Amino acid sequence: MKMIRGAIALTALLALTLPAAGTRAETFSLWVRSGANDYIRELIASFEADSEHRVDLQVVPVDEMVQKYAIASVGGSAPDALSLDLIYTPAFARAGQLRDLTDFAHSLAWFDQLSPAHLSVGTFDGRLYGLPFSADASLLIWNKELFKRAGLDPENAPQSWTEIIADARAVGALGPETYGFYFAGNCGGCNIFTLAPMIWAAGGEILSADGQQAMLDSPQVREAIDFYRTMVMDGLVPAGARTDSGANFFGAFANGNIGIAPLGSFAISILNQQYPDLDYGVAFLPGQEAGQWSSFAGGDNIVISRSTSEEKLPAIKAFIRHTYSLAGQKILARRIGIPVRADLAQQALEGLDPRYALSTEAMQNGRTPYSTVFNDLINSRNGPWTTTLNRAFFADSEAEVEAALAAGQAEMQAIIDAAR
Amino acid sequence: MPDVQSHPLPSAAPTPRRRRRRGWHGLLYTLPALALVVVFFLIPLGMTVWMSLHNWPLLGNARWIGLANYTRLWNDASFWNALLFTAQYTIVSTIGLLGLALALALMVQHQGRATGLYRTVWFLPVVTGFASASLLWAWLSNVDAGLFSPLAQRIGLTEGRFNLLADFDTAFWSVTVMVVWKMAGFYMIILMSGLQAIPGDYQEAARIDGASALQRFLWITVPLIRQPFALALIMCVAGSMLAFDQFYIILNGGPRNQTVTAVYKIFNESFVSFRLGYGAALSVILLLILMVLSIIQLRLLRDRGES
Repeated sequence: MKMIRGAIALTALLALTLPAAGTRAETFSLWVRSGANDYIRELIASFEADSEHRVDLQVVPVDEMVQKYAIASVGGSAPDALSLDLIYTPAFARAGQLRDLTDFAHSLAWFDQLSPAHLSVGTFDGRLYGLPFSADASLLIWNKELFKRAGLDPENAPQSWTEIIADARAVGALGPETYGFYFAGNCGGCNIFTLAPMIWAAGGEILSADGQQAMLDSPQVREAIDFYRTMVMDGLVPAGARTDSGANFFGAFANGNIGIAPLGSFAISILNQQYPDLDYGVAFLPGQEAGQWSSFAGGDNIVISRSTSEEKLPAIKAFIRHTYSLAGQKILARRIGIPVRADLAQQALEGLDPRYALSTEAMQNGRTPYSTVFNDLINSRNGPWTTTLNRAFFADSEAEVEAALAAGQAEMQAIIDAAR
Repeated sequence: MPDVQSHPLPSAAPTPRRRRRRGWHGLLYTLPALALVVVFFLIPLGMTVWMSLHNWPLLGNARWIGLANYTRLWNDASFWNALLFTAQYTIVSTIGLLGLALALALMVQHQGRATGLYRTVWFLPVVTGFASASLLWAWLSNVDAGLFSPLAQRIGLTEGRFNLLADFDTAFWSVTVMVVWKMAGFYMIILMSGLQAIPGDYQEAARIDGASALQRFLWITVPLIRQPFALALIMCVAGSMLAFDQFYIILNGGPRNQTVTAVYKIFNESFVSFRLGYGAALSVILLLILMVLSIIQLRLLRDRGES
């Protein structure tokens, strides 16, 4: 409470020093992507309870966010603020759509406690355009019930790729309708979120740090593909994985007949709410050797449109500050499992499902690839990442894997070069 | 138009002045329709051509690049592959659709006790949208949770589960069957109206002369349904050349991007890669191809008496 009042007082103080801004109540529009966004409604309710400002929330279908924003922007009706899938921040900033938030960000006392992955993709040409809003980390999830039935220790997560294969074999042997492992084999977004961290954990890369060099054709990527391909060939993965473009990414594990699945922190709250009978454990996504692990740092950045008027800025900034308050972080923790402010994380997570703490730790060490053509490279259903992996996972021969990797590497680099 | 001028009405040929006034009236009456065409067709078309001459990102500022999009398109193998696949799909689906539609139309052309029911049953899939039909089909062909694969396994047709959508051939035929199931009823109605317009005495006279059913079909029915058939053919070819939903929803353009159609490619360029200008250039080329195709079909199917 103190925090909120403090934030409001600070905002008012700032407003006094800015000639253009007034202290009057403002309503600003906020777009969020469809999906699990209950936390935003709760966040807004708690913000409005203590503020004279109002938020006009608009939920946009997740697959059409960029298109709708672009059209609205051309038509002069872009939203004032936007909760943007963080990977799009560089592309939006590059297109000159966003307001520079560098000075505001540095005025926050807890700036150095904010999720570093969000800030790294929020930066373009040395300026900051996006601030962490919500977070999603990748995790390995296993079905304890199936582990027990297969004679495995249900409390012991597999620690490396070889252990995953061994455990998947044990679970797969339980019966024809039970499978050891699941992944969405035709979904770029799912695999950047779950397979890429295992490649990173093993010391590999997919893109260079500046996003200018494709690195698909590397030994670690090969090993990772071999790891999945072994399980495919052993029949440990349901046949539908090959054509799953993401629709069954989460649902397959929730069905209860899958031993192990790399998913994300988002799965914890959905499993708890909708599948209370499913007994599962969560662990970090391992690398090739025991002890290695990594995570994708996903979620949303909050950004402000370039066209947003000065009068609305105090309201938006007050909302962002509220998000970072303990009250705001508690809502994030309860609803999606991960606060984005490190110094409040422990307090925010107090008394909640202990599995959430693991998500937060994964997030703090998570990575987000930086690219202005992320959609083209990774998310596109027909892009090089999706098609290369699909071809390689289900290849009939080693030569086919090699051909897929070579073609994917070339196509990725061509897209990067064309965008320069 | 020339017809009207060469055969003036026998009584009271209109004076030039009256004719001109009538012309004005005509224009006035067509104005609303004309306005619609201008606003919803000509202006967007002009916009598309204009955009195709720019580097026009979805976000950010457009830049004039002249014909660069078109030269790039010329060397873009993925677009020509998409066109080739679209042509292949058009040929197969058109033969399937019109063949089945004609057979169905022949069955339901006469009044009978059950024909009303059959017409309704065969027409029903037409009223479902392409997107919903595709979603239904995606579920039916799902290898784990669907109908076809588990059923085939259950009745011993396949050893284990067979993923229909994982191989090009089965995926392609699966989608084509869906399209034929969904659209045949529509072309059945068009061809049926053509069949019903053939005067009954022609058939009767031929029958009295001893013509067989096949002869009557070939020499009376076929020539006389030429025009509705041309209509059905043009609609079918244009519709198939513009196919998108079914391949996007059921197959995501897979396996291995082998079922990316021309419109799918345009969609990808415009809304996945955010290159609206290049997408516009592809659209212009596709429009030209469709125009040429339609002209060829009209030529081929024109009544010889008219020319």
